[in-house]
Amino acid sequence: MTSPYAPHTATETEAMLEAVGVNNIEALFDVPGSVAFDGDFGIDAHGERAARREAAKLLGRNDDLTEFLGRGHYTHYVPSVVDDLSTRSEFLTSYTQYQPEVAQGFLQALFEYQSMLVELTGLDVANCSMYDDATALGEAATLSQRVRSVSGETVLVPAYLREGKRAVLANYVDGPGLDVESYPMVNGQADVDALADAIDEDVALVYAETPTVRGVIEERLADIGALAEDHDALFCLGSDPVALALLERPADVGADVVVGDAASLGTGTAYGFGLGMFVTREEYLRQVPGRLVGAGEDSDGRRAYTLTLQTREQHIRKERATSNICTNQAWVALRTAMHAAWLGPDGLVDLAEDCVTRPRDLAARLDDVVGLQAPVHDGHHFREFVAHTDQPARAVVDDLASEGYAVHEIGEHLIQVSATEVTAEAEDGLIAAISEVAK
Amino acid sequence: MLSGHFDLAVPPPGIETAPSSRPTSLTLDTGVSRVRYKQASWTDDGDRYEPLLSEKAPKTVDIEDSPLPEELTRDSLELPAPAEPELARHYTRLSQMNYGVESGPFPLGSCTMKYNPSFTEDIAALPSAAVHPARPDSTVQGTLALSYRLQDYLARIGGMDAVTLQPPAGAAGEFTGIGIAKAHHQHNDDDRSEVVIPDSAHGTNFATAAMAGYDVVELPSGDDGRVDIDALEAAVSEETAALMLTNPNTLGLFERDIERIADIVHDAGGLLYYDGANLNALLGRARPGDMGFDVMHYNVHKTFATPHGGGGPGAGPVGVTEKLAPFLPAPHVREREGDDGRGDYEYYRPDHSIGKVHGYYGNWPVLVKAFAYITRLGDSGLADASAKAVLNANYLAERIPYEVPFGPFHHEFVASAGEQDAADVAKGMLDHGVHPPTTKWPETVAEALMTEPTEGESRRSLDQLAAAFGAVHGEDDGTLAAAPTRTAAGRIDQVSAARTPQLSWQALDSDD
Amino acid sequence: MSFNVPDDLRYLESHEWVHTDGATARVGITDFAQDELGDVVFVELPDGGDNLTAGEAFGVVESIKAVSDVYAPISGTVTAVNESLFDRPELLNEDPFGDGWMLEVEVGDEGELDELLSAEEYRDQIV
Repeated sequence: MTSPYAPHTATETEAMLEAVGVNNIEALFDVPGSVAFDGDFGIDAHGERAARREAAKLLGRNDDLTEFLGRGHYTHYVPSVVDDLSTRSEFLTSYTQYQPEVAQGFLQALFEYQSMLVELTGLDVANCSMYDDATALGEAATLSQRVRSVSGETVLVPAYLREGKRAVLANYVDGPGLDVESYPMVNGQADVDALADAIDEDVALVYAETPTVRGVIEERLADIGALAEDHDALFCLGSDPVALALLERPADVGADVVVGDAASLGTGTAYGFGLGMFVTREEYLRQVPGRLVGAGEDSDGRRAYTLTLQTREQHIRKERATSNICTNQAWVALRTAMHAAWLGPDGLVDLAEDCVTRPRDLAARLDDVVGLQAPVHDGHHFREFVAHTDQPARAVVDDLASEGYAVHEIGEHLIQVSATEVTAEAEDGLIAAISEVAK
Repeated sequence: MLSGHFDLAVPPPGIETAPSSRPTSLTLDTGVSRVRYKQASWTDDGDRYEPLLSEKAPKTVDIEDSPLPEELTRDSLELPAPAEPELARHYTRLSQMNYGVESGPFPLGSCTMKYNPSFTEDIAALPSAAVHPARPDSTVQGTLALSYRLQDYLARIGGMDAVTLQPPAGAAGEFTGIGIAKAHHQHNDDDRSEVVIPDSAHGTNFATAAMAGYDVVELPSGDDGRVDIDALEAAVSEETAALMLTNPNTLGLFERDIERIADIVHDAGGLLYYDGANLNALLGRARPGDMGFDVMHYNVHKTFATPHGGGGPGAGPVGVTEKLAPFLPAPHVREREGDDGRGDYEYYRPDHSIGKVHGYYGNWPVLVKAFAYITRLGDSGLADASAKAVLNANYLAERIPYEVPFGPFHHEFVASAGEQDAADVAKGMLDHGVHPPTTKWPETVAEALMTEPTEGESRRSLDQLAAAFGAVHGEDDGTLAAAPTRTAAGRIDQVSAARTPQLSWQALDSDD
Repeated sequence: MSFNVPDDLRYLESHEWVHTDGATARVGITDFAQDELGDVVFVELPDGGDNLTAGEAFGVVESIKAVSDVYAPISGTVTAVNESLFDRPELLNEDPFGDGWMLEVEVGDEGELDELLSAEEYRDQIV
């Protein structure tokens, strides 16, 4: 089979070979015989319909579960218009905007995305994306080493931190040789007194999250920010755009960098496919990793957009670049901006308020179930909460799976339940099922 | 304009060019004329194009009576609130002011902008693909099965023994691969401090090595555009952790001495890293594993046609030989033994895993699209893709009036704009309905025009592309400096944009 | 292309100039350097009172295509900083030996000047 995506007819191929002056295509390959590959991969070609069937058959082996899952990867309802507009080929099949005159559309969309993050955080500069929240946190840690006022080499993170995030951070700090240490948490939130004991001049970055990975809204962010500032450390806050629509502005609690995952707006459940936010203060502008879209002026005197300050980036500054990131998550950012605009500020705030009341109400209902106590932590929750199970959590989670529901197992007798509008109609079913398996 | 011959001296309507001396060898006999093009451009008044969403539909809401105590909430939120019809029109107009592979030829060297088959989108959008990453292995056997199959496909294609799918882009793949090399050396109590990189390499290679904590040793290219063996021998030492190399290199040239290169690096105890950016040249003809590479990344966009999405998402799977497999990121998919009803596949942590490079499993939907593409093409289709990519590059090079100093090249070539400014050449080409090549890189060619047409262009389209090169070749510097004129926006002043950074609509407002 | 290389200055191979007038030295980058960089968009300089060490980087000059460290031709304490460069980095392109000066330094060791290139030596280097 020839590639279905190479348009050449046999006649055209012949004519082209003649124009080049060779008899066959193999003559164009300058590969020494000793390293040439003359075997097969053993991969069969398929017609398009057969290829679709093959993929559908494989993926069909996934169980169909109703997921009350979160802990960093969240699902909200994504309106159809986002799919429709974002998959327009001019967006989907374009490249990084190295020729801005023919890429104004995407550049403007990314400029709008950056602006939305500026509004949500109150900080000055958002880049046009990192891979996910974990890599964005890693980049924040390395940024601390490029900030003159910071002399420390320790990153302080909350004791409750998703393992995947901690593991990525460990790889990012390995190169610059930073240490990662945890500060304790109490009742699902940072133990600020313990943090005050732990912090010293060797700390380069203090990281906190709101909501925390256990779904609790942090109530003493300003105290954490002040501690960081007092010790010449950066304060990095992890959050997400839905939460930021309602919660205190990061700028108002002293955050120097905001990271997090923004893909819950614009992209549904996608096995951890993410969109790393990275927003910081203007004074760190030249230390920002990744791409920035700026507004300027074209030869007609009109406002136009372009990638700017590219001397920070790897293709110019090579080993002295602020990061090695090149391709990022631009198209995911496009979708996030579309979704945010579709919601508007009132829709976004309504959604955020639902993220507060829904887990509160669901936790109250679960607390009435024999064998369950919820929520385990006091305080306000966002999207999710932890519940205590009298039965071993593993058994509860397994039994729920056989009833068609997925929740997190996070301890011997702890489960975590995430609830958004997409699982609203399944809440009654979850209660019924868990009532059977938890007693 | 449609005639039996194509005359480079005749500009298309609307384009002013100075008379030029026409290279006689460029008379085409394919009945192809130059493309006429005018990109859509929306503007509502004199000083801007399509207004920002914030200018069209601003709205502020005060946060009142929220379910949270007031001290935990912000006071207000100001964001655009377009109604859906306005939203649809906004983004449709923006899309019309953007150029993609489906718009026209996109010969951006080293970026491999080939056609992205539509059906892969449908597969990635299957509801059964949309699972949460925290699901137990036994409930996502389909996802694990597809991942395992893709790992296997990629291993076969690269001649590697094991592949991780976790890195979310090529640069993340480099970071993973160099991290694996570092872990391997540390495991052997062999501390090494340097990574050797040719001067013509992608900037990511240098940045990656630095991020991983290595010193970079830059390797000058030889006169033939390839690795200079003497320089390599001088650069490699007991401090060498790895040599990062792409083959064919950024000039499109195959490193013929690759076995010798591998011996030099291996004899010094270093590892050989393959940058997969140019793998689209070699499918079915040579494999990095057979050339002596120990670790490599694949760019699924560049080789397996996943859409670039205007700057990502990508995916950068990493392949390794058997001795490096224990260092792969966690978790990794393998077949399960036994038949206990918990499925055929499972995740496990390789013995000496470097840990994680992405918070979950990487850019999953992109990986699904790559799987779909490989499944569609199979052995024969993949080999044909490389054949046509190499044929197209060679054919196009024959048809353009710019000199190509280095060869024989494969899927891409680097022409020199000579006395012209390569960046201006690129701006001029924009007016001809084509995307220009990568310019001014690699620096081993003066005023470089790095050109990679890919297999997706037909002969007719290549002739049109050649005509665009030809037209710009004949234009004077003044005309090129004023280009482009037929694009959504005119030439953008990069200097003032950088001197006065305005990175948000808030920054625009504050300057008013 | 010929570049301005004033005779009364001393130079570093890395394209910085220094002009001494008694105990005070004025420092900047050369005409050749600004031409190589292209349009300068950003300048980062130390604060007054900071100490420079000869041969070590004291600042950064950024154009749209390159970023370059700027090295101290001479050791000493910074007594004045050309703050107009922060708003008008283009002064480095327009007048590198005049309005585009960067710093004034109180010279610690005049002997260091002897280590620097003369105008003639620098001219030979950039040919």
